[in-house]
Amino acid sequence: MTVTTAADDLRSLAAREERGGRLSTAAILIGPATIFVTVSLLIPILILLRYSLNQFAPGTLMVEALTPENYILFFTDPYYTEALYRTLRVAAIVTVCCLVLGIPLAYRLARTQSRFKNVLLILLVLPLFVGNAVRAAGWMTVFGNKGFLNVTLQSVGLTSEPIVFMYTEFAVIVGILAINLPYVVLTLQSVIEGIDRNVEEAAFNLGAGPLRMARRVLLPLALPGLAAGAIFCFILSMNAYATPVLLGGPQFVMMAPLVYVQFAAKSNWPFGSAVSLILMMTTLILTAAANLLVQRRYRN
Amino acid sequence: MSKRTGSIVNRRVVFKGAAALVATGASFPFAAKAQAPRKRIVLATWGGDYAKLLTKHVSTPVLAPRGWEVANDEAVVAQRKAKTLAEKRLPTGSSDVQALTATDVAEMAASDTLEKLDLSKLKNAKNIIKTFSIADSPLFSPHIYSGQVVLYNPKLIKDVPTGMDSLWDSKNQGKVGIVDIQHVYTTMGAALVGGGKTGDFEVAKKSLLELKKLRPRIYPSNEALAQALQTEEVGLCIMWKARAAQWQDAGANILTVAPKEGLIAYVSGFCIPKNAPNREGAYAFLDAALEPSVQEGFAADMGYNPVVANAKLPADRKARIGFTPDEEKLLVNPDLDFIAKRAAELKDFWDKEFKRA
Repeated sequence: MTVTTAADDLRSLAAREERGGRLSTAAILIGPATIFVTVSLLIPILILLRYSLNQFAPGTLMVEALTPENYILFFTDPYYTEALYRTLRVAAIVTVCCLVLGIPLAYRLARTQSRFKNVLLILLVLPLFVGNAVRAAGWMTVFGNKGFLNVTLQSVGLTSEPIVFMYTEFAVIVGILAINLPYVVLTLQSVIEGIDRNVEEAAFNLGAGPLRMARRVLLPLALPGLAAGAIFCFILSMNAYATPVLLGGPQFVMMAPLVYVQFAAKSNWPFGSAVSLILMMTTLILTAAANLLVQRRYRN
Repeated sequence: MSKRTGSIVNRRVVFKGAAALVATGASFPFAAKAQAPRKRIVLATWGGDYAKLLTKHVSTPVLAPRGWEVANDEAVVAQRKAKTLAEKRLPTGSSDVQALTATDVAEMAASDTLEKLDLSKLKNAKNIIKTFSIADSPLFSPHIYSGQVVLYNPKLIKDVPTGMDSLWDSKNQGKVGIVDIQHVYTTMGAALVGGGKTGDFEVAKKSLLELKKLRPRIYPSNEALAQALQTEEVGLCIMWKARAAQWQDAGANILTVAPKEGLIAYVSGFCIPKNAPNREGAYAFLDAALEPSVQEGFAADMGYNPVVANAKLPADRKARIGFTPDEEKLLVNPDLDFIAKRAAELKDFWDKEFKRA
């Protein structure tokens, strides 16, 4: 009995030491990342929060204060609320389009047995090698009054006068869509690859057509991946800067360019900080809500 | 034994390597920096042609032979103004010279970030033409000037415009272009069209809202407008005569008219931030920019007029970029006091009322 107790004590000690060792290893591994995130993200956010409660005085960056006036101004001035709604609308449209276009493409890529699969993947990633501003400049040559699109439409006789594509919401949506689509396809492709092909075969054997199989089998299984891709796309769209500026023009105001204007053009740091935090919080709340919704649905 | 020998060899290698590195100074940038002579001027300026021409006409031919090295810090003016404001509390800022327009200086004057210039340190200051009130500003050394003219494409605009009011003429609806970043000067132009002075903001607001009804096309930059003129998307705008000369040189089918309401002067120049690390260098730059050769170079390459009396231009160039005695009578200075006090309000109106679809 005594021997057994001693052996148990030793085992328990060894287990505790092992746990302690695992904990210290884990601390070493996650420590640098945690410190980096704290320093590079949380501290600037706290600084922004403090700045957003200051007052703006022309000629100075800000006057120390503790006032909610910047937030009140944002939510009471239709110019700013319209910018927020516009940003949400563009982000939602881009996300839906990315999913609609991305799912078939990702499925094809995931299931293909072609020896050119790697080439196809590289082709998909290739546009990401070009910066957003450069890509927007490329779209400008397509959308201009004498750009590729208008010249083509006129030369085939579909239009007689140039259609205004530049500086429209359509141009911005197409521009952001082209940037985000590869990210969404890559996310979905890796998720679909993880789903056993036999599950699909089983659905077909039981008489389901391709659409029914997708609706009843593939999409529910891929739901967490779909949510991840959609959230990723939504966040990127909410924070888009170069594309709305270059393709949307001076009259199309989205949130990220609005932040820049407040900081750089008006030197109004308190209001710029408030706009930044509103953008961040809106994105965070919507993302968390979507995640929660998907998790609940997935459990069901 | 072998272990001991190995240890000695390693130490030797380390000592030799360290000595070599210290000797060359190549691997220790701070040491290298400490040894370098302090003859560096940091010039904060717009990028593009202006920065290139400053290097071509000022930094390389004038300052380099005098032992100065100029490093360009290129950014749009809004960013540079914000940076200067942010650095206000620092004992040493990051730039020695800031390239600004007269209206930018008016805005910056209120922030107490710019040094009051000692013009006795500029041997070329005595040649500055006293046409512009800004030339007397204690914060600003002028460099180049032009005037805001009416620019039109004769193919699209059949009736030759006589003033800026042609932009408000419904006959020209759909052919008018406006540049977003020119909001200050466009607002002042609108004030003149409405019968006021450049600082009559209420008159300007009313005029701009009238113009908005004609739905002019608004472009983000001068370059975007130039492209729209080239493709004949628009054919009428207000612009600096210098820009018009550049675009004419590039083959654009455009002509200019000095507006009857007034030629608003555009003056660009240099300031020294109060916390500039190299004041001696800054003054050397300001003086070099006033050299006749520099002024003549900018007139030839960029279409801006000299601000010094001793610069000589060929007659044909002077006719292209300059103004006749009658036109000079139309020159109007921007209301700098108005800009200093109401720049933020003006930008708000422009964004929220005029630009808003």
